[in-house]
Amino acid sequence: MDDGTAVMEFMRGIEKPKHMNRNFSSMFFKATGIIIFAFILALSYNSLSDRGISLKGAWSNKILSDSLIVPYSYQKGDPQAITLSEAMMEFQSSNTIFLDARLEFDYRQGHIKGAVNLPYEEFDEFYPKVAPKIAKDKIIVAYCDGTECESSLLLARVLREEGYQYLKVFFGGWAEWEKAGLPIEKGEGNSK
Amino acid sequence: MWRNLKSIINSQYTILVFRLILGGIFIYASLDKIAHPEQFARIVYNYKILPHSLINIFAIVMPWVELICGIFVIGGIFVESSSAILSLLLIAFVIGLSVNFLRGLDINCGCFSTDPQGKKEGAILLIRDFVLLAIGLQIFFSNSQFATLTSVFNKLFTRPRN
Repeated sequence: MDDGTAVMEFMRGIEKPKHMNRNFSSMFFKATGIIIFAFILALSYNSLSDRGISLKGAWSNKILSDSLIVPYSYQKGDPQAITLSEAMMEFQSSNTIFLDARLEFDYRQGHIKGAVNLPYEEFDEFYPKVAPKIAKDKIIVAYCDGTECESSLLLARVLREEGYQYLKVFFGGWAEWEKAGLPIEKGEGNSK
Repeated sequence: MWRNLKSIINSQYTILVFRLILGGIFIYASLDKIAHPEQFARIVYNYKILPHSLINIFAIVMPWVELICGIFVIGGIFVESSSAILSLLLIAFVIGLSVNFLRGLDINCGCFSTDPQGKKEGAILLIRDFVLLAIGLQIFFSNSQFATLTSVFNKLFTRPRN
């Protein structure tokens, strides 16, 4: 038997003619029923459960001022959010350390000049190496790739628990800094 | 060889195993999402595909669709419709993953990244979904009534014709 015929037979085996005789409207009706059933169960469970969430979440970025937009998860009491111009002022200060919360790969591709890499997703692995470079009496400015990205905020929250007091978050992040043509560097360069 | 493979894939026992695999995976995946809706909603948000107003309702309902269809597929109730729904969900997941794969979005954090490790994880998820989709479609097209509750009910409650 040649292979061509075999393939045809195989295909025929998968697509048996009996499928054509199916009652699609009944199937659609049942599928709709299943979805409605799921909706009823889901909404009931959600309203009764302690962990239930609101039907409409607040996922949009919050606009704090013309030049300051923060992610939906930014709350009162979180480390101070700063604008690009405030970040530039901090950059001039010798008392400030910039912390890049992105993954090491992205950091190596380019980061704010002098920034130290502490990826939020790999915090436990990186923190012991990075801790000696970030003294607790310095001002720490955390950033990630832009406003849509939360790693900088999450990193700053974790650092606050570690005892850091002077924390700021630059939500404009890498995207805004690079676009403004401000000093950057590539590779490992961890010195300012 | 093709013929053997065909008969194995179309065998009623294989379809039963497929039903157990597909249903089992969806039930398992749904329970964690049902228990932690807030975390799941955040993951949905991180995909950056749905409009914000639909994220929570999707995160609340979708796991229940998975759970019910998973139970139905294993138990053999409305297998066709349930496997069709699960296959459509898998197609949606494949599209969602591919879109983010192409635009370089790391779905773990919802941030844009060029890290190849993230791409590798995305590729593994895509392959997993494609395999599950193939299983789902085979269940759908096989239309096997073997070891289904529907066939048991039919036997019990259908009067023999004269």
